[in-house]
Amino acid sequence: MTLKKIVYILAALALIVGVWGFYDRFANGHQNAAYGSYVVWGLWVAMYLFFAGVAAGSFMLATLDLLFHIEIFKGTGRTALWIGLISLGGGLLSIWLDLGQLWRIWKVYLQGNLGSVMAQMVWGYTLFGLLLVASLYFAIRDPQSKMLRVLMIIGLLLSLFVSGAVGALLGVEASRLFWHVGLLPVQFPVFSLASGTAALLAAIGLFGSDKDPHRAQQLWVLAIATVVLAFVKLYFLWADFSQSIYGNVPQNVQAVNAVLFGPYAWAFWGLQILLGTLIPIVVLVQPRLAKHNSWAGWMGVLVLVGFAVARANIVFPALTVPELEALIHAFTGPRLQFEYFPSLMEWSVTIGIVGLVVLAFLVGTDRLPLQSQEVA
Amino acid sequence: MPVLTEPRPAFIVSNAPLIPQQDVLLRMQDDLKRALQKPVNQRRWVMVIDLRKCVGCHACTIACVAENKLPPGVVYRPVLEEEIGTYPNVTRRFVPRPCMQCDNPPCTPVCPVHATYKNAQGVVEVNYDQCIGCRYCITACPYAARTFDFGGTYVQGTTGSEAFLLGAPKAEAMERAANYEYSKAWERKGDESPIGNVRKCHFCLHRVNEGMLPSCVTTCIGRATLFGDANDPDSVVADWIASPNVMRLKEELGTEPRVYYLL
Repeated sequence: MTLKKIVYILAALALIVGVWGFYDRFANGHQNAAYGSYVVWGLWVAMYLFFAGVAAGSFMLATLDLLFHIEIFKGTGRTALWIGLISLGGGLLSIWLDLGQLWRIWKVYLQGNLGSVMAQMVWGYTLFGLLLVASLYFAIRDPQSKMLRVLMIIGLLLSLFVSGAVGALLGVEASRLFWHVGLLPVQFPVFSLASGTAALLAAIGLFGSDKDPHRAQQLWVLAIATVVLAFVKLYFLWADFSQSIYGNVPQNVQAVNAVLFGPYAWAFWGLQILLGTLIPIVVLVQPRLAKHNSWAGWMGVLVLVGFAVARANIVFPALTVPELEALIHAFTGPRLQFEYFPSLMEWSVTIGIVGLVVLAFLVGTDRLPLQSQEVA
Repeated sequence: MPVLTEPRPAFIVSNAPLIPQQDVLLRMQDDLKRALQKPVNQRRWVMVIDLRKCVGCHACTIACVAENKLPPGVVYRPVLEEEIGTYPNVTRRFVPRPCMQCDNPPCTPVCPVHATYKNAQGVVEVNYDQCIGCRYCITACPYAARTFDFGGTYVQGTTGSEAFLLGAPKAEAMERAANYEYSKAWERKGDESPIGNVRKCHFCLHRVNEGMLPSCVTTCIGRATLFGDANDPDSVVADWIASPNVMRLKEELGTEPRVYYLL
């Protein structure tokens, strides 16, 4: 059995697991979710940030082929656009299910408050989604068209805007010191680029064409980019955390401590740092392994896992720090706690969405002409 | 002002005439009536909480839950309890925390659909029919004064003797009965608003507009919570917010809260 068939089966199983979560979400609303009135955003918001980052980053990478025509990336543009499109779909599905009143989403379009970063983001991602569809259409039908160049230029700027807006969404919140960092909107486009790079590395490494003469070289370049961006990510983490700890503002230090030593420490050290950063760095700096399809591909997957955890480690810890310390013991109840771990229903929905995105990716690689004629 | 004619208690040694004190609730009621005569945009509702009088009985919290039929996970006015000092010099402080009804609220500009705003009387409202339940405003509030309605009830999931003792069917019907926030009947059924919405204290505007004081004010056994129109120089609250021992929570954030604490 080929790897592709195994992944097909796993993705289908994930989707089946997700069906229960989707049913529960629609039948019982938010009642079986573990987030509450204090830790008010949970796994679905984190996954939205993750998928949206992959989408924006993939578009950035697609420009290497479709806008800048860099020889070594020839033929990767359409795959990157497809990854971007399905990731965006996964992200938007995740955040849509997080809304308290699902069917009122139209209000953001027709009665939106454009002063709100969230409304700007909804508009931005909608435009970005349409642009992804149009870009993919032209990339398949007429890759040399001027329209595609125009779309790629607009899309590149838009991908920077939307990924920055995700950082701004959190950064503007002066009441959450952990988020209220001016550099957050700057960091997020870099994170997006890094997660897009990892996604393309995984796609080419695990499912790329053996006939592609550039494949090994593409993997090597993407591996170097992944390593460089991993170091940039580590530097950002160091800058954020060291300044917070040194500054010693209690609310901020509590959030950092929750990540480093608190309830999320296992995810931070085990998944985000070790599995998602250090192991990929060690593997991908070795040219032999970096050019090896499976090694490179699986390292891409690990980096993606690390990024998903990193998104969660931005969202949850800030919310687990009470705005007023005595709230912890005031009128407590199941939804009035400052602790959070996703419920089975939340996991189920997220697993389903991941399954759906992976299935969509595989179907796309099989059914759409994503690879150029010479390598197909 | 009439002078008391009853015999003086033995511990009063002064010969100065005694002035009867009107119950502050009645005075606030008069203040409220006066304020309601004015155009809405000339009223400036504020709340003053005297921390020296609060005994931490939580009656205000419960009255608020009952008045607004708040479900699990939703609370408008918890009372924060803090222990101060070390033994043997220990005391407790009780800080009721309603919505601050900030004049510069961080929660309103972030709303993607204009569902939350300051109304003409300066109270921050949530339009339940407009709210999409994204909860961005909850994360923006520095006082944790907003909560989310998940749709549950307190008796939900109880079975057997527990359900019998709680009178579950009737209690559930009571919990699902309409509240009258924002002067409209909001029944709790299915996934209809206010389920799936963000909810918050609104100074019991539905009561205030009908000439009644907020529920937390009338139930405060120590008369520690005062309410009225700060634009009225004769009101109780106008007196108190001009005193030197007044403070507001997290003033450094520039939110300009309309809830004042007396220390």
